[in-house]
Amino acid sequence: MLRPYTLLLAILAAVSAMGTLPAHTETVSIPAWVEEGSCGPAPKFAATFNGKPAPVISPLGPGSDQVVLLVVDFTSDVSLVDAAKQSISAEIAKLPANIWVGLLSDQDGLHVLSDPSPNRQPLLDALTALAGTGKPGLLASVTPALSLGDSIMRKFPVRVSVLYITDSNIYNYREDYTNPVINGSDPHDLSRVFPDALIQDKISKLEEDVTSLEAPLFVVHLNYRGDTLNESYQNGLLTLADVTGGKGQVCRSVGEIPDAIAAAFTRISSAWRLTVGVPPKFHSNAQIHLSAPCGGEDARLSWRTRVRPKED
Amino acid sequence: MKTWISVVWRVTLILSLVGVDVCVLKGGTTASTAATPPSTLSQAADEFKVLTRDLGIRPESPPNAQDHRGRKMLWHGRVYENFRNDILDAIPHEVRQNGESASPLRRNQFGFNIAGPVLIPHFLTNPNNTFFLLSYEGVRERIFRAQLLTVPTMQQRLGDYSQTVDSAGKILPIYDPALTTPNPAYDPTQAVSTTNLQYLRSQFPGNAIPSTRFSPVAVQALKLYPVPNTNIGPFFQNNYFINSAQTDDADGIIAKVDHPFRERHRVTSNTTVSSGFLSPSKYFPNDASPTSPDQHFSTLHSELDYVYTANSNTVNSASVALYSDVVESGGGLGAATPFPIYALSTYGPTGTALSSYVSMGTAYPMSRNARTTLALSDAWSTKKGKHSLHLSGHANFYQVNSFNPTYPSGYFQFTPDITSLPGIINTGDPFAGFLLGLPSAAERTVTTAPSYFRQAYQDFTVHDQYAARKSLSITANLTFSRRTPRRERYNRQSTVDPNLINPSNGLPGALAFAGRDGISRGLRSVNYDIDPSLSITWNPRGSTKTVVRASYSRLHSEIPIYNGQWATQGFNAHQTFTSPNTQLSPAIDLTAGIPPLGVTLPDLSPAAADNTFADYMNLNRAEPVTQSAAVSIEREIPFSIALSAGGNLTVGRDLLVGDGAVNPNAISPSNMSYGNNLYNYAFRSALQPYPQYTGFELYGLYPGGRSQRDAGYIRIEKRASFGLTFTAYYEFSKQLDDYSGPYGNQDLFNLRDNWSVSPESTPQQVQLSYVYEFPFGPNQPFLNLSGVGGALVRGWSLSGNAYWNDGTPLAPHPEFNHTGDVLPTLNVNYVPGVSPQVADPGPSEWYNPAAFAQPADFTAGNGSRTVASLLGPGYNSMDVSLGKRLPIGGERSFEFNATALDVMNHANWNYPDMMIGPASAPNVDAGRITGSHGGRVIQLGLKFSF
Repeated sequence: MLRPYTLLLAILAAVSAMGTLPAHTETVSIPAWVEEGSCGPAPKFAATFNGKPAPVISPLGPGSDQVVLLVVDFTSDVSLVDAAKQSISAEIAKLPANIWVGLLSDQDGLHVLSDPSPNRQPLLDALTALAGTGKPGLLASVTPALSLGDSIMRKFPVRVSVLYITDSNIYNYREDYTNPVINGSDPHDLSRVFPDALIQDKISKLEEDVTSLEAPLFVVHLNYRGDTLNESYQNGLLTLADVTGGKGQVCRSVGEIPDAIAAAFTRISSAWRLTVGVPPKFHSNAQIHLSAPCGGEDARLSWRTRVRPKED
Repeated sequence: MKTWISVVWRVTLILSLVGVDVCVLKGGTTASTAATPPSTLSQAADEFKVLTRDLGIRPESPPNAQDHRGRKMLWHGRVYENFRNDILDAIPHEVRQNGESASPLRRNQFGFNIAGPVLIPHFLTNPNNTFFLLSYEGVRERIFRAQLLTVPTMQQRLGDYSQTVDSAGKILPIYDPALTTPNPAYDPTQAVSTTNLQYLRSQFPGNAIPSTRFSPVAVQALKLYPVPNTNIGPFFQNNYFINSAQTDDADGIIAKVDHPFRERHRVTSNTTVSSGFLSPSKYFPNDASPTSPDQHFSTLHSELDYVYTANSNTVNSASVALYSDVVESGGGLGAATPFPIYALSTYGPTGTALSSYVSMGTAYPMSRNARTTLALSDAWSTKKGKHSLHLSGHANFYQVNSFNPTYPSGYFQFTPDITSLPGIINTGDPFAGFLLGLPSAAERTVTTAPSYFRQAYQDFTVHDQYAARKSLSITANLTFSRRTPRRERYNRQSTVDPNLINPSNGLPGALAFAGRDGISRGLRSVNYDIDPSLSITWNPRGSTKTVVRASYSRLHSEIPIYNGQWATQGFNAHQTFTSPNTQLSPAIDLTAGIPPLGVTLPDLSPAAADNTFADYMNLNRAEPVTQSAAVSIEREIPFSIALSAGGNLTVGRDLLVGDGAVNPNAISPSNMSYGNNLYNYAFRSALQPYPQYTGFELYGLYPGGRSQRDAGYIRIEKRASFGLTFTAYYEFSKQLDDYSGPYGNQDLFNLRDNWSVSPESTPQQVQLSYVYEFPFGPNQPFLNLSGVGGALVRGWSLSGNAYWNDGTPLAPHPEFNHTGDVLPTLNVNYVPGVSPQVADPGPSEWYNPAAFAQPADFTAGNGSRTVASLLGPGYNSMDVSLGKRLPIGGERSFEFNATALDVMNHANWNYPDMMIGPASAPNVDAGRITGSHGGRVIQLGLKFSF
């Protein structure tokens, strides 16, 4: 009588065992922020990795070197693009010298407009000259852009963030995420009752891709659109940013653009990069908890809670 | 060799980037002349350059660098199948209530999509350059549709009305029109009544029509008319249930190509081609079915866009688009002679029958309508200081080729009048008149050739967005537009012109022909309009968490070209036959049929449309105008929630309406004092402003309606966190107008009296949409498994929409319209002091019918078209979609999807019976609801993405 249950338990145990893999990676890096309360410039971080204490190795704080990969995805309204360009220029001018910004554009494929450099002028020139037309490319370029940041992070002790500034419209992509009606004479088409299914599929796919990439993603969308598909798309961008430990914002008016871009740069420059030691054996999916004891109470922190360590 | 070159390039690049002078020595080796330790940032920047070079995303990347991405598929797409079958569905409530155990359904929707770069060796080699997308979708469907109808009983088919009852359950008397004599005792100073009859007429012996009196044509047609197969009631009504198949096949493709060139130019083409076949479910399994004929659809939509980027602040985009839609029914031109229409559900002058019998035959049984639009546009945008200027122009050219005869085999209308006791309501029956072959009216459309209509529209818009302050932007828009009236390629257009004198009677109103006698080709003049709009977006106190929006706009709309050959009389003809007195004699003898047209077409005489339902085009400049004002406030609050609230007001005037709302040839209601004399057609038509016409056909194109809609809403949007996204929307609104029926307007001389809540006004509606990604599987809080276990539990998501809508306003309707055809429709009387509300509305009593009364003969009802406080049953449905994504490596995955509409299998009530009978024979079913509709529908989908 107990056999079916025994069998089920055995299968579950086997499945569970399959999930426990030897670590190929010794450390993972996560972004973190001290939101409130700080015991000086260098709080003592304590981490757990899947519930077990894990060492925080050589934390890199806000004053340390940083590379920002700024990807612009401008495709429509020149007034929004102009406001964004002005804000970006203003924010870049405020950055300390040890934050280098590289500029990329993703219309018609990701391509470099200006390399990270202490000299801001080439970047500003490239930004000024950039036209706000073309087809959006964020959904196609976000994984390569984050991979780029991830590769740099893994090789050098610098903080790296990827910041997308976009006004993209899901209807304007080269690829088809809107599932347009093909046969107008079909009166009982249920496949489009939930029209955002393709967008959700794409976002889910990207979420899986980026969980093993360590660079946080920040997104500022310049133009909130209230239709079902664009809402789903905009929400998807925010979800993607959350998954990587970054942050997204969608501007509902032109007036919000300067503040949103400023907030993104502030968030990026105030980030910590914490390298957490990985236990010898762990589930391939890691849940990280972080604290920073600060006198009688902990500092309030925010951090990337989940990461899938990359298998080398 | 390739690898070696790459290594050398890489080393060279790194050295050059860190400030090392590099020279290439003979023999191919390199050497450095100086070196300083690079900073970490420099090294990181160098790594960036190397990586981006290897990715092929730098200008100096070697051509073969693209190959580094080669392991990933360049082309993406999906192949899918969506499957529906009745074994997955609940039995529809309306089917189950009729004792059926199944409603067969077979549906397969399948297709593919592929998108990616166009690569042609030696010609197109850059994967970021030319891009294509190709989608195909096919549908094969056979779905059964249920209908509950009323057909004559077996006894009625034999002429036996001895068991046929009225709405109160009393025997319905059928009188013999052949036994009609004037009543010598009739007192014309008194109203006609059973004690003061104008005509004496004998009832058929035993209330049964002898079969010898049957029209041979009716007998022949009856062979195609179904017999009752159920007995839902009340009485004999709702006695025919049919659940028949509808076939729907379609195939279509979308092809897109996008090509940027020389940095500043981009061309995009987008083409959709589709063809479909729709065979609606038939009420009868033969040619007499009153359902739409089979239809063939073909569609071609093609658009070519060109964008030129002059500089970073100036962009110009131009497009040319061609849209072509062809619908052909019943074989179109040259089709076999279709079955005529025998309308048995007529609302005749002395009232309607107890029930509406389903008719035979269908309008537009063979037609072909080809609509083509050529749309050209150009838009130029630039940014200058605080101004964003946008100039745009559009030129649209419309062409509609139409062959659309309404009644090519004739239309025969049967009312109760001819078998009634003249002047007495609740007597006679339209089916009895049919058996006798005595129609009260008949028509036939004679169409000689297709019509080729043309129309054009141009506009020019100046749009400026001004950033007054950081927190305030103002947008102003001004559109200048030009609309030409409809023209016909061969000038085969006409209309009744009320200013022309008709030579047949010397009265105003004669047919005017386009392009003749100094009349313009479009009959109407060209319209020029200026439409402004203004909007502001404001962040109060500079708070970016709050946005206030306000807007105003005015918009003129064009008078469109509908399918059909309206306003072509003289080139085509509507033969119209009207009874001299519907109570006494028929319009024609059904057995003899409609006689041939007495003139040769084209007949370009000003009197060519006399004695017909003439097509009447409004010849002044009026066009529909809509003005809208809206204000809203949006605020971000903690927990990723955005709140919005707003209100809007929309006012329309000169909206397009049909002859149920407006009739320039209507008789003034004051003439109802003539009482039964109005049944004399000659007498009644003399009271019309244009007596030479039986009536006017406005074709829904008369700019005479007004409307107003006030609405307020609250919207809560919860952005994605913990896997949950939802939007909740609540709206309250009120929509009023003076044209939307549902039965037409009572007073055509004082449209303001018809101002009432619209029948489609939904006072409150709530909609909830959500997406939830289950937190199971790898990288999730629960069931954080890997391998097979992880694959099974991860990637599940649930989407849903739920609707709760109020019902729409009810429209009680008198059972009889005894106004001598003066009022095309009649409102009820309100009974003072009696509330229409009931304490607990339910199917047995949704409202109190005692609150309404049938108006007395030859008087208008004092009620409104609709009762704002009396709503029909609400609508509720919950639709969900459960999805599972199964990655199988790389970009590939399977996606399973189960979509359920009305997942709770909730039955939505039908609307109650709104027919209000006279006090002498009240409708026993008034206020009751017969049945419900709806039922759970499930579709399973499987998709392979790559």
